[in-house]
Amino acid sequence: MLVDLPGGWSPLLGRLAWSQIPYANPILAPLFVAVVIGAIIVLGLITYYGKWTYLWKEWLTTVDHKKLGVMYIIIGLVMLFRGFIDGLMIRTQQVWAVGPHSSGVFGSLHGYLTPFHFGQVYSAHGLIMILLAATPLLVGFMNIIVPIQIGARDMAYPYLNALGLWITAAAAALIMISLFVGDFAHNGWFEYAPIFEMQYSPGVGVDYWIWTLQLVALGTTLGGINILATIIKMRAPGMSWGKLPIFVWASLSANVIALTSFPALQVALGLVAADRYLGAHFFTAGMGGNLMLYTNLFWIWGHPEVYFVILPAFGMMSEIFPTFSEKPLFGYITMVLASMAIAGVSWLVWLHHFFTMGAGPYVNTAFSVATMLVGIPTGVKVFNWAFTMYRGRLTFNAAMLWAIGALFLLLIGGMTGMMLAIPAINYMVHNSVFVVAHFHSMLLVIVYAIFGSVLYWFPKVFGFKLDEFWAKTMFWLFSAGTALVFVPMYMLGFMGMTRRLEYVFNTGWQPYLDVMEFGIVVYTLSVLAFFILLYVSVRDHAKNRVGADAWGTSRSLEWMTHSPVPFYNFAVLPHINERDEVAWRRQHGIDNVRPEHYEDIHMPNNTGVAIILGGLTFVLGFALTWRIWWLCIVSLLAIIVLMIVRSFRGDPGYIITGAELQRMEEEAYRREAQIADSHHSHPVSGGVVGNAMAYQRNDSSK
Amino acid sequence: MDIKWRNWLKKGWRAAALAPILLLGGCAHNPYWIFDPKGIMAKTNLFYMIVDVVIMGAIVGLTALLVVWFMWRYQKGKNRGKYDPHWSHSNTIEVFVWGIPIIAVGFLSYFAVKGTFEINPYNPTVITHHMKPNGDPVEVDVIATDWQWLFVYPQYHMAVANELVLPVHTPVFFRLTSSAVTTTFFIPQLVGMIDVMPGMRTKNALLSNHAGEYQGIASDFAGAGTSWMTFKTKMVDKADFSQWVQKVQQAPGTMTYASFNRFAQPYINVNHHVVYFSSVEQGLFDHVMTEVMRGKTWPLPPMMTENMVDYMKKQAAEHRD
Amino acid sequence: MSSHASTVDPKKAELWDTHHHSHDVISTRTLGYFLYLLSDGMLFATLFAAYGVLSYQHSYFGGPTPAEFVKPWYTFAQTIALFLSVLAYGFGMNALKHKNKSGLINGMLAAFVLGVVFLVLDIHDMSHLYSMGITLASSGGMSAFMVLTQVHATHIFFGLIWILVMMAQVMTKGFTEETVGRLLTLRMFWHLQAVIWVFVYIFVYLWGYIS
Repeated sequence: MLVDLPGGWSPLLGRLAWSQIPYANPILAPLFVAVVIGAIIVLGLITYYGKWTYLWKEWLTTVDHKKLGVMYIIIGLVMLFRGFIDGLMIRTQQVWAVGPHSSGVFGSLHGYLTPFHFGQVYSAHGLIMILLAATPLLVGFMNIIVPIQIGARDMAYPYLNALGLWITAAAAALIMISLFVGDFAHNGWFEYAPIFEMQYSPGVGVDYWIWTLQLVALGTTLGGINILATIIKMRAPGMSWGKLPIFVWASLSANVIALTSFPALQVALGLVAADRYLGAHFFTAGMGGNLMLYTNLFWIWGHPEVYFVILPAFGMMSEIFPTFSEKPLFGYITMVLASMAIAGVSWLVWLHHFFTMGAGPYVNTAFSVATMLVGIPTGVKVFNWAFTMYRGRLTFNAAMLWAIGALFLLLIGGMTGMMLAIPAINYMVHNSVFVVAHFHSMLLVIVYAIFGSVLYWFPKVFGFKLDEFWAKTMFWLFSAGTALVFVPMYMLGFMGMTRRLEYVFNTGWQPYLDVMEFGIVVYTLSVLAFFILLYVSVRDHAKNRVGADAWGTSRSLEWMTHSPVPFYNFAVLPHINERDEVAWRRQHGIDNVRPEHYEDIHMPNNTGVAIILGGLTFVLGFALTWRIWWLCIVSLLAIIVLMIVRSFRGDPGYIITGAELQRMEEEAYRREAQIADSHHSHPVSGGVVGNAMAYQRNDSSK
Repeated sequence: MDIKWRNWLKKGWRAAALAPILLLGGCAHNPYWIFDPKGIMAKTNLFYMIVDVVIMGAIVGLTALLVVWFMWRYQKGKNRGKYDPHWSHSNTIEVFVWGIPIIAVGFLSYFAVKGTFEINPYNPTVITHHMKPNGDPVEVDVIATDWQWLFVYPQYHMAVANELVLPVHTPVFFRLTSSAVTTTFFIPQLVGMIDVMPGMRTKNALLSNHAGEYQGIASDFAGAGTSWMTFKTKMVDKADFSQWVQKVQQAPGTMTYASFNRFAQPYINVNHHVVYFSSVEQGLFDHVMTEVMRGKTWPLPPMMTENMVDYMKKQAAEHRD
Repeated sequence: MSSHASTVDPKKAELWDTHHHSHDVISTRTLGYFLYLLSDGMLFATLFAAYGVLSYQHSYFGGPTPAEFVKPWYTFAQTIALFLSVLAYGFGMNALKHKNKSGLINGMLAAFVLGVVFLVLDIHDMSHLYSMGITLASSGGMSAFMVLTQVHATHIFFGLIWILVMMAQVMTKGFTEETVGRLLTLRMFWHLQAVIWVFVYIFVYLWGYIS
């Protein structure tokens, strides 16, 4: 029943063979050496500074939602960087391989990448950017912010939260290892039927793609359940639905989408796997298969997924605008309704990803109109942000600049989206770079919102602000890069240039590709600025320390507790009286009222099970990719046994006594007073990043 | 009235579009294929694009100006506008905030529906409603392989690989299928995209009154050879077309079921070979579709996927010949 | 609407959670599990959609169709086994209400045995089809048939493991907050699988038999 494989297979190693290691590849081999050297240096440094115990106890085994969120964001930023490098490679190939007389190196006819390698690069770029950069970054922010904003001590299921993180990490590791062991898929991040079938993609690339996505889907579903249950069950007393911070509403609507749509992806991928592993005929052209079924199933997930990533970004913008406009969000209720409307309509529009598939005009118009309906709530959101600024007092610091940048990109992306929604226009630009430019505009809305949020919430998590100068430098460089890359890309779309060209047959497009290449160089400078920003900010952190309310104009609950947030979030849970609780307390001069006494609180224990399970899912994914059946069985059994063992042991948690809480709280208040006193004279010591109070638990309290 | 409006829009757009185009090097011909349609299908696409851009551009542009104005007026410390720290709701504004997008979407929906029927690939009313008596339509059966195009002219019992020659002032009706994987048939200046799928038949049509040479593209990724899977589309006078038909009908090559089997083997057409086939076995299009539905495939050898270097060397050698 | 119309007097407002209520662990867990089951339901809905698309006459491509090999009474026996299993689990949960440990164990044991009967019947059916040369590689329609029914069977398999684990946990730990919570979620899982089986039985087996 198993399919015949082209190439060898051995019981011990499956399809894995020495020839699958691209040691002769002139790009990958040096990269591999660099990665190995880098890894040795990092591991050496950790050993040298004796940080292994700290790393294991405080990070790798943690169930603290803030640390898990930080790790999600680190994974997201690392993968964002990897995806950016892929983007740079795509642009370089296209600017090089123009016309029949362009040169070729490394065995390629034109440019420096063979078609198959180029295919892998852009497939990895797409998959990574959407599912392993944007998604973990947003899940990370939801992880950190949602529980604090609703006044909870942790997520509803802290252990499940850790599991979700480590499964996502396993997915990231799986796609990274495809660089050096075998190949990745070359047919685009969403693949096509039937090109992913064994006859057209005989290698392991598509298998890597299947299992990476399956792991991401699993991790995101677990995370989605957790965030939903947290929002429904863990709100602080007094926080009715009408007082829920807007970012929490955005997270709620986004995770409703995630929960209901990811199963469709899992089924689509499972059926592809059935085709490739068992010889089924779901998506084959012959034998009764239906290749259009794949496209439908994929986009039934794919389009809601797009809104799954954009809704939290909208939520972030809705938090940043009021804070730096110094007034409440305009039209809270319509904002909530708009989020829910977007979530609902997201299910009715998937067919607009393939208007050209030849569906009848009735089907196409139905989906066209449904797609345009999305424009209504999105338009409402844009207007609401504009009217949040109206009659405000605007401070244009870096976080606000990113949010405004996101707003303008949304206008451009929305306008081009309305063009694509009309089949009569879509037929002309469907598979052109115009579409690429459109969805990059939209995804850049997310990236802008994320960088805005990094600046906005960084002081909450780490206790000091990021450097304004370098943040603004980065913003302007990044925006210049955006303009230089995507304006020519829109123009090329109008010139009829189609996407995914390894070789550009029209020399007339060369100047535009040159400009885009220059744009990517500017982008590279902005990445550099980001690294400098991190370095400078950490260097000067003592100068930039902040108290609970980092911006002085904050509104929602996360700004009520200390910065950095203690591991228990709130020593005493607040009672919520108003929608913008912090702004309300500040307005009435009761923002400095402290709780009168502290009671014992119950916290969950750390666990190493989650990271081990994550590791095992990685092994399982790798074994499935290479068809090492014995390893599949062993790792699957290990996962089941470990889960059962864990369920027998359970987690009794531990108690922090009221007295201990009081000691930690007083220390925090003392430090805050010190910061307020000496804000411009001499810097406050203590509370260094790696050593921040937020991440230290007094072991005697166990 | 409709036509008038269309003309007016067209003129306005030309004037607006010309300025940046002239700035961009002043090429002899318009590099913006989408803005320079040479067929009625592409022209209709452009019309709807202009309508959409005008309506959405007005809204988006005004919103952008509004945001910029708010940013200028309410900047902290400048005291240009009144600061109201509690203002967060207004029923009047809410009405506009919801009303403007709803009206715009409603308006555009009308055009979306109309346009979809006008250029419905299976029955494009812009062509079928104005079928002129001068000349019967030409039928072309398009078969995409890995990675070539075969254009079968069933009326003339002949076929051409990788080049499409068509008469002007004549409706052309396509039937499309693929022998291998899914791709998309696209001639930017003449007709929009339509997917070409194995074991399935899609349709499209075009009508052009402008003789000339236009680029045809395989616009959906079909594997390693996609970038070279292009074809020239030549729109020629009817007399020239008849001459060309005669020329093809005298070509040495023929296309039978058996020779199609060889033709459909994976091949990256880096040199843009054009081949003429003077005769085609009856019903080739349906034969290919049925074969594919029965499970026939032309699998890719690993050298065309995993390790393209060797294959590209071979191709490069061919290039030098 | 806006915050200036403050309805709360800040001087008298309650600022801290003074009642110190702890969250209800069981209800939080069952909610989360319910959410998971929603996604499991979506998974089956998608599989049913795929089956719907791939169950036309041409999807079987001239090969065997369910009409040729489905035996409604055989599958009805499976249905009865699964329903009785759910019923037995229900009796067990009834015993839980009375803190009756042996009643619960007996109910779960019966549920387990009946579940095994279901699974054995399924495996026998599949191996019978395999011996006739009918596999998921036969045609697109058979792929959809096999995958849908066997994904359900896989759920039953893992449910059976879970029942065993819970029996062990109840015997070793008794009725703790954790075990009771898991018994409740297992009940939800087991019920959902029975409900889905109803759809599988009607739309795949019976419908396939008729058409």
